[in-house]
Amino acid sequence: MNLRNITADKLVALYQNRDASVTEVITRVFEEIERTDGSVRAFLTLCKDKALEDARRIDKKIADGEPLEPLSGVPVAIKDNMALRDVTTTCGSKILEGYVSPYTATAVERLRAAGAIVVGKTNLDEFAMGSSTENSGFFATRNPHNLDHVPGGSSGGSAAAVAGGMSLIALGSDTGGSIRTPASFCGVVGVKPTYGRVSRYGLVAYASSLDQIGPFAKSVRECAQVLSIICGFDPYDSTSANVPVEPFLRDIDQPLKEVRIGVPREYFVPGLDPEVKARFEQCIKVYEGLGCRIDEISLPHTEHAIAAYYLIATAEASSNLARYDGVRYGVRKGGEAGLADMYRKTRMNGFGKEVKRRILLGTYALSAGYYDAYYLKAMKVRTLILQDFQNAFGQVDLILTPTSPTVAFRIGEKIDDPLSMYLSDIFTITCNLAGLPGISIPAGTNSAGLPIGVQLLGNHFQETLMLQAACNFEKAFLLQ
Amino acid sequence: MKITEADVEYVAKLANLEVADNEKKELAGQLTRILDYVEQLNTLDVSAVAPTTQILENVKHAIRDDSVVPRTGSSEAGKTVKYFKVPKVITER
Repeated sequence: MNLRNITADKLVALYQNRDASVTEVITRVFEEIERTDGSVRAFLTLCKDKALEDARRIDKKIADGEPLEPLSGVPVAIKDNMALRDVTTTCGSKILEGYVSPYTATAVERLRAAGAIVVGKTNLDEFAMGSSTENSGFFATRNPHNLDHVPGGSSGGSAAAVAGGMSLIALGSDTGGSIRTPASFCGVVGVKPTYGRVSRYGLVAYASSLDQIGPFAKSVRECAQVLSIICGFDPYDSTSANVPVEPFLRDIDQPLKEVRIGVPREYFVPGLDPEVKARFEQCIKVYEGLGCRIDEISLPHTEHAIAAYYLIATAEASSNLARYDGVRYGVRKGGEAGLADMYRKTRMNGFGKEVKRRILLGTYALSAGYYDAYYLKAMKVRTLILQDFQNAFGQVDLILTPTSPTVAFRIGEKIDDPLSMYLSDIFTITCNLAGLPGISIPAGTNSAGLPIGVQLLGNHFQETLMLQAACNFEKAFLLQ
Repeated sequence: MKITEADVEYVAKLANLEVADNEKKELAGQLTRILDYVEQLNTLDVSAVAPTTQILENVKHAIRDDSVVPRTGSSEAGKTVKYFKVPKVITER
């Protein structure tokens, strides 16, 4: 059994036909983690005892002839900013070291109810702030395709766990590209659903108006299956959208009929790597071959997206992270000189550099005298970016872009230059500002063997078409 | 916009953060560069544009009836810790 060569539905079929036992497979998964994760370092916490207990319970169900759930015995990894009852949730931050969640996030709960087995919690940039998983307060995760390169971020641990054959499925969260960038860098599929599609209950907030949970897997089909389980209304999340969840898998293999795909001219930026550009142009041809009409479109405010994003996200973060003050969660420091002393010393010692930088930037953007100039202006530019997409979706059904302007960069390459790190999010950030669904699909590797990803964006709640188009691409690309 | 070390100190105080002296200079430089970058938004005339605070305005969000229902969740936090002890709140000047 090698997780690199099997999909979730085939694994469940193996169990159903009694060709493999869940206990045997989950034991092998932990052996693989032991072999691989010493160098990749995707996991912060392993849940071996609980996973094997779950495995034995499902094996008993099979022995008793009980019907299986759609993901029975399928190993999943969870980004460590989602709560799992009785297990630590650190968000990759020293400030939450040792904090144990008293409840389970809705998305995780739904996966577990569908039979999935949580093998562990994965590394991330501290509080999901970063594009490389180097900002973790504990250690950096490495790209399974080349250990000298980053896996992307912030959900780098989840992407690396799937790419490294240590889990079949993983959950991540995406605030400005944190699912799609690591999916692209690690050569797996990653989906950021429409804002409101998946409950954020139990997801530790970074920027609440942008955050969304989504899946990683090796195939579009598996991601669609996970989405059909985790999407849907949740009364515990006040921004959860009460819209019906379509059967994403039903027509996923159907050929595309008269689909119009837009390619935004503003995405051919100077920093676009020539090999990524050439591969992207090849991807356009793949869609032409699938009978789609390709139209050049314009998203004129794209160049302002990163500026607007880093004001809005940091402003929301500075407010969301105010709760880490040493009173209720994790670490507590100082206090000799009173309460304020405890707040400052706890936060100084607990937060890493990037988190402090973003809290300071966000606090500045919200402070008296600067609110209108920075935060309010960014919110107005967000309106313009949303209107760009509304206009575009009047002409086309889907938008095709590269996921990232480059392949995975080297560890350490951008760590001292926060602005250049921010600029690497240029193709993924607009999707969060506009609340759209997006998917990164693998499109082969470059000459150095590093994966390249291509991104599809859909209109709000149009995941069905987006997944169908992604699934068609996946098959056509392999046949080339 | 040039951010000085004094600005860093002031904003850090607002955010209840303590920044080490050797970090102030580096942070002032990085924040200056980031703010210089975001100044580009000033090239846009947004005087007639409404801000977007909520993306999906036509979606009915979860507003529940104001009634007591049993739930597992954050209320369980109180099971392990009955109260949170904090240092002295009022200190001498």
